[in-house]
Amino acid sequence: MSELDYVGKPVLRKDGPEKVTGRALYTVDMRLPGTLVGRILRSPHTHARIVNIDASRAERAPGVKAVVTHKDSLGVKHGFVETRRYPADQNCLAEDKVRFVGEEIAAVAAVDEYAAEEALELIHVEYEPLRAVFDPEEAMERDAPEIHPSHPKVREPFRNIAGKTESSWGDVEKGFDDSYLVLENRFDSHLRTHGYLEPQATLASFEPAGKLNVWTSSQGPFIKRSKLAKTLGLPMSAVRIHKAYVGGAFGGKIDLFGHEYCASLLSMKAGRPVKIVATREEVFTAYRHGQPLIVHVKTGVKKDGTLVAQRFRVINNCGAYRGSGVVVIFLAWGFAMLPYRIPNLEYEGYAVYTNNPVRAPQRGHGAPQMRFAVESQLDMIAEQLGIDPIEIRLKNARQPGEELPNGDNVHNCGLADCIRKAAEHTEFKQKYGKSRQTPESAGRYRRGIGIGVSSYFGGSLIYPNSSSVVVKMNDDGTAILLTGAMDIGQGAETILTQIVAEEIKVPVEEIQVIAADTESTPIDIGSWISGNAYVSGNAARVAGAEVRAKLIEIAADEMEARQEDIVLENKTAYVKGSPDRRIPYSELVAASVRKRRGDSIIGNGHWRTMRDEPHHPSLATTKGRWSENYAFDAQVAEVEVDTETGKARLLRAVTAHDCGFPINPLLVEGQVDGQVSMALGHAFLEEVLMKDGRTLNPNWLEYKMPSIHNMAVSEHLDVVTESYEVGRPYRTKEVGEGYVSAILAAIANAVYDAVGVRLFSTPFSPEKILQALGKLK
Amino acid sequence: MKILVELSVNGERFEIATNPHATLLEVLRNQLGLTGAKEACGTGECGSCTVLADGRPILACLALAADYQDCEITTIEGLQAGSTLTPVQESFLEKGAVQCGFCTPGMVLSATALLKKNPAPTLDQIRKALEGNLCRCTGYNKILEAVRAAGEKMSQEASGSSGQ
Repeated sequence: MSELDYVGKPVLRKDGPEKVTGRALYTVDMRLPGTLVGRILRSPHTHARIVNIDASRAERAPGVKAVVTHKDSLGVKHGFVETRRYPADQNCLAEDKVRFVGEEIAAVAAVDEYAAEEALELIHVEYEPLRAVFDPEEAMERDAPEIHPSHPKVREPFRNIAGKTESSWGDVEKGFDDSYLVLENRFDSHLRTHGYLEPQATLASFEPAGKLNVWTSSQGPFIKRSKLAKTLGLPMSAVRIHKAYVGGAFGGKIDLFGHEYCASLLSMKAGRPVKIVATREEVFTAYRHGQPLIVHVKTGVKKDGTLVAQRFRVINNCGAYRGSGVVVIFLAWGFAMLPYRIPNLEYEGYAVYTNNPVRAPQRGHGAPQMRFAVESQLDMIAEQLGIDPIEIRLKNARQPGEELPNGDNVHNCGLADCIRKAAEHTEFKQKYGKSRQTPESAGRYRRGIGIGVSSYFGGSLIYPNSSSVVVKMNDDGTAILLTGAMDIGQGAETILTQIVAEEIKVPVEEIQVIAADTESTPIDIGSWISGNAYVSGNAARVAGAEVRAKLIEIAADEMEARQEDIVLENKTAYVKGSPDRRIPYSELVAASVRKRRGDSIIGNGHWRTMRDEPHHPSLATTKGRWSENYAFDAQVAEVEVDTETGKARLLRAVTAHDCGFPINPLLVEGQVDGQVSMALGHAFLEEVLMKDGRTLNPNWLEYKMPSIHNMAVSEHLDVVTESYEVGRPYRTKEVGEGYVSAILAAIANAVYDAVGVRLFSTPFSPEKILQALGKLK
Repeated sequence: MKILVELSVNGERFEIATNPHATLLEVLRNQLGLTGAKEACGTGECGSCTVLADGRPILACLALAADYQDCEITTIEGLQAGSTLTPVQESFLEKGAVQCGFCTPGMVLSATALLKKNPAPTLDQIRKALEGNLCRCTGYNKILEAVRAAGEKMSQEASGSSGQ
């Protein structure tokens, strides 16, 4: 293997200096001359018919420059999924009905926020309230109010079915018959918000010549361009999404949002730039959170713990429109079947409309909920069989080279190594079960240890399906990297630069990145299906390779040597064996321009995951390839439970991960730490409380996100299963969202280990723990 | 009706005509163009708007601009002398304490205020000083490391210069 100079190293982030000095401009910081303030009128009803909207008084109000309602829109619907089976189902501005509190009805642009807010109060909307339903199981009942007609392809007589995923292999019934032990349980999860610090924000400026310029806090500009163009009826080329720094997203900034559409439409109507920034209360009450799942899981095992059969029934409360609800029920199948071999499996998942706000992807997108269920039940099974939690996992863990039932391959899967490493590092076997053996007199605080495993895909086929990258040499021997990738904090720009640096041997600091602009940078898959490091990364590698080839060719020419003898290093070329005689890149670029008829050395590269697959797998049947990269991990949690108050806390999290080849270990650690912290919030602190479709705690005082006092020790153990070689495709798996899941399950299992309390729902609140301990009536 | 507010920000005097109820954050961001201090909640829960008033961290989203006319306000833009990063800024970069960066200006200012008073804080003292600053990306471990490293760097610099 060749020596690596730039990848695999903890290179400091490219955007760091801008961020620590406060110079990084986020959408909320952007302003153009003459910018108007936009505000959105939202539904106060959970479910109502709109009889009439009268905006005439608002239009005449002082300082108001534009008002838009459904009448101003083209009526083009949008959705996270827009396929033949699942067509778009949400209006940008409500037409005849509202289906959740917070649904967009009208928007105003005014000279300042006071005028804008006063104008909202002048819009008169006449409603006829309808019966509403909030619980997904109630919404499925025959006499439930109909939010939308059930999907025509769903055979069961349920109401409000947005979509269904079905998948099976083997013979599950026979599997259960053949099993030594069969357990059946239900696990519930709760509603959490993403907690991105930068609120949702958009600045839109429509130019008289017909160009719409947009700055918006997002996870990828190309998907936004496509959806804005479609809903506004503009050619895609008339919409330009510009780069702005993004203050966190975690899945919550992918879809088209009302403020993006409204700011754009208002700007088109007013002829002036319009900026809309959501308040934190709006983010909590009207925007999209994650998706609580009800997971029924029935599992049959042999006496030695080998999994024989598993049946899942998953119900997703997906809110008033489809959102990513039908994606979650597909992914939940995937996260159920990934880490372990299950010879017989039956899965059905329902996405159910309710009169709650629409839901979005959220870091892990169904995996935390599924792993919590499966890993908790696996520990219950292990205990009944008298097998320890490590052995039962090792017995069922997928091995390198295994093919998944959908035809995907796990390649160099390092799961078993992850489990072993995590267990050894934490002395799991020595610690496990100790707390429950000690008498009650041993004290108020009990410690426990638990393990969970998980797997996550890295990149799939969703528009725009691929990434392209351009690398251009500068006259002085430095380079410019053009990428459509959006750095949302994970370090996309940094790792792509490292890859290009490695290919062309120009130091990271001397490569300038131009990113995330739909006009000046090539298309990119986006920072939202865990495909950046692999898909965009390989595109960057290919673009770099083209530049490298040209540099070598001209260097060989200049030095009268064979191309295979040319060595590139730190912006210079030399002939193998004579490193003292070097030509700087600046001279090579000049020579190329002179001798290659003006070729200033530009490379371009592109990459698509699963290049032979026509499209993404079926969300309804799971048929078709899903991904060619699967990351694996085992996470161990050590917790302490106060048996007096029922309060539990995470003391230590150990993550053993197979993320393929870590391009930047410092950034990998950052991703893992962030996910451990998020899982800790999931387990103990965070819950969006809703009653009858209304949010009760729309702020960070009442919705507790982890603070610096809540952090746990987070340790990382690398299981590196892939390598990087210059000029060859590399496989890097996933590190951005695969590590919020196993740790959640590990925490639940550790609570059980500490006090013998099995938790069947998140969050793991003091009330639940005390109740199970018999200390709360 | 507007009032005239005189503010001293990053060593410069400004006279600003503003609403009497304008917050310091609104004036800094909208009128002075100093957008380093962020508004993430607007209700004093997250610390993204932290600035220093006479060296003490305050929440600019809850502070009335008119109340701070006798203070020296330091924002993230005024922290450095020239283009050299401060030890706190440097350590945040080196330790990987920055991800999306939205909390970073507030974190850096809270940490700076702490280390000015106490260059060798205990972990608990660091936690106490940063308890009002939320970060969703990093899980805080690397921020804690960065503040500790910055303190060490500052102590070394101080002892180095006193030894000369």
